[in-house]
Amino acid sequence: MNLAHRVLVVDDDTEIRETMVEILNDEGYVAVGAADGYQALEQLRDPEDRWCLVLLDLMMPNMDGRTFRAEQLRDPALAPIPVVIVSAMNDVAAAAEELKVSAHMTKPIPLSELIQVVRQFCAGS
Amino acid sequence: MLQVAIDAVREAIVVVDASGRIETWNACTEQVYGYAGSELRGKPVQMLYPADDRAVRPIEGLLAEARERDRVETEQWQLKKDGTRFFANLVVRFVPGEEGVEPHYVTVSRDLTERWRASEERYHEDTKFRLLVENARDYAIFMLDPSGHVATWNEGAQRIKGYTAREIIGQHFSKFYLDEESRTGKCERELEIAMREGRFEEEGWRVRKDGTRFWANVVIAPLRDYRGTHIGFSKITRDLTERRAAELDRLSLARTQEALRLRDEFLSVASHELRTPLNALQLQLDSLHNLAAELEPKQLAKIERARRNATRLADLITTLLDVSRIAEGRLTLNLRRVDLGEIVHDAVDRLDESASLAKNAVVTSIGSDLVGMWDPLRIGQVVSNLLANAFKYAAGTQVDVEVKRDGGDAVISVEDHGPGIAAHQLDRIFERFERAASARNYPGMGLGLYVAREIVVAHGGTIRARNREGGGAAIEFRLPLLTTTKGSST
Repeated sequence: MNLAHRVLVVDDDTEIRETMVEILNDEGYVAVGAADGYQALEQLRDPEDRWCLVLLDLMMPNMDGRTFRAEQLRDPALAPIPVVIVSAMNDVAAAAEELKVSAHMTKPIPLSELIQVVRQFCAGS
Repeated sequence: MLQVAIDAVREAIVVVDASGRIETWNACTEQVYGYAGSELRGKPVQMLYPADDRAVRPIEGLLAEARERDRVETEQWQLKKDGTRFFANLVVRFVPGEEGVEPHYVTVSRDLTERWRASEERYHEDTKFRLLVENARDYAIFMLDPSGHVATWNEGAQRIKGYTAREIIGQHFSKFYLDEESRTGKCERELEIAMREGRFEEEGWRVRKDGTRFWANVVIAPLRDYRGTHIGFSKITRDLTERRAAELDRLSLARTQEALRLRDEFLSVASHELRTPLNALQLQLDSLHNLAAELEPKQLAKIERARRNATRLADLITTLLDVSRIAEGRLTLNLRRVDLGEIVHDAVDRLDESASLAKNAVVTSIGSDLVGMWDPLRIGQVVSNLLANAFKYAAGTQVDVEVKRDGGDAVISVEDHGPGIAAHQLDRIFERFERAASARNYPGMGLGLYVAREIVVAHGGTIRARNREGGGAAIEFRLPLLTTTKGSST
């Protein structure tokens, strides 16, 4: 069993963030939310936690998804954590390629797709 | 001494005897006529005048007249040795005989060619200028006397203002102004400004003879003669009505374009903003639906209805976003090598639930090996839109989906057995917000076929609608197939 089992949901929209966290928890994953890039980096650097996946929105205040990704790749401890972009932006595919992330999804995403992606990277309990 | 003086003058002086023969002459004579002295002596004076021209008075007549009146002066043509003519001032004097001296004549000729040419040139210049002004059609160019009465008129003035010269010359120029403006002294003010500042110019409404208005550019300038005396005004008027209308059109077009841009920008922002909360809603509904085993059948049915409507909402938002992308030229395609059969199968499967709800039976006939460089999501969207259209307008009928090869193209047709499309609508149903039936009877924004066409066209394909012979509508689109041989891979 992979010890890294936490999913970090990074989205500034409280409703969608809490919905995703709640659903993933229902599905047996340990999911935690972050409202921007700063909060996300802070969470990932907590030595107590091990992460299997970051679900990343792109457009956020304070620190957006792109900046977060750049910061993440600069930190050798965080760089290997897989990132999947979840955005309502039009050119998500292009952004995904540019930011070298594992996958991308365009909002609105159906539950089944969300679960399928998380299952690829994380082991449920 | 006298001879020296006579030779120095610039007139040709010829002394002719009583019988009309040349007796003596001065140096200028040889230059003017081009004869050597020996060629002149004793010759008839007629040799210096053209004989065959009725406009030229015969020299013998002039001599006879001079004999009677002592002196005759005229301007007429004379003849050089080389046969060319020159125009000259000619004075013939009769010198009566005295004792021992025969009477004789003296002719004094001054070459007027230069003066004549200069005056003819000036005449031509004046004529050209006058013709230029008189015939200018696009400009009314005319003169006012110092009190503002029309003194001259041209073609352009007649054309623009409608008066003939006979009708308007002598009338005050206030006739060209709106009543309320001429009453309040506008005309006088304009002349005052022109006098004070050397020029008056404005754009404004003027009135034609028939009472209609035109938008005019007017320039008034004072005219003075060579002594500086004020003799009136020049007035040049252009009819700018059409140009003004074109400018107003341009402005209104720019405003419309700006409004369209704002609408498209709004569509883009709004559909983007709508997606996030909708996604939260859909996820919750999906999650509820996953609890199916724990729910009452009635609860489950309500959740399913809510999910369907959330999906409809999501599809509408996606369509709006597509329309705004198309309007902004941002429809991008992720082209890859794909099989059309798979795309169409997937689309039909995806709409299975909608088909059963609308009680449509979908019958597919899908050819194999139809490979092209296409965006599978977008082509799937076209097929979905055509199917959704058939389910909407031809509910309860059979819908045939056929995919086949036709030369270098793949042809996809979706045919229903519904009421068909009115003939005058066939070309219009692919336009934005167009629909084959009234909005009251069928819901929707009328954007599905528009988006379908834009996607097909972006792939280099074509789309058209027709009515089936046995009734029902058929929409068919063609996409270029890959020309590479079978088995090549990417």
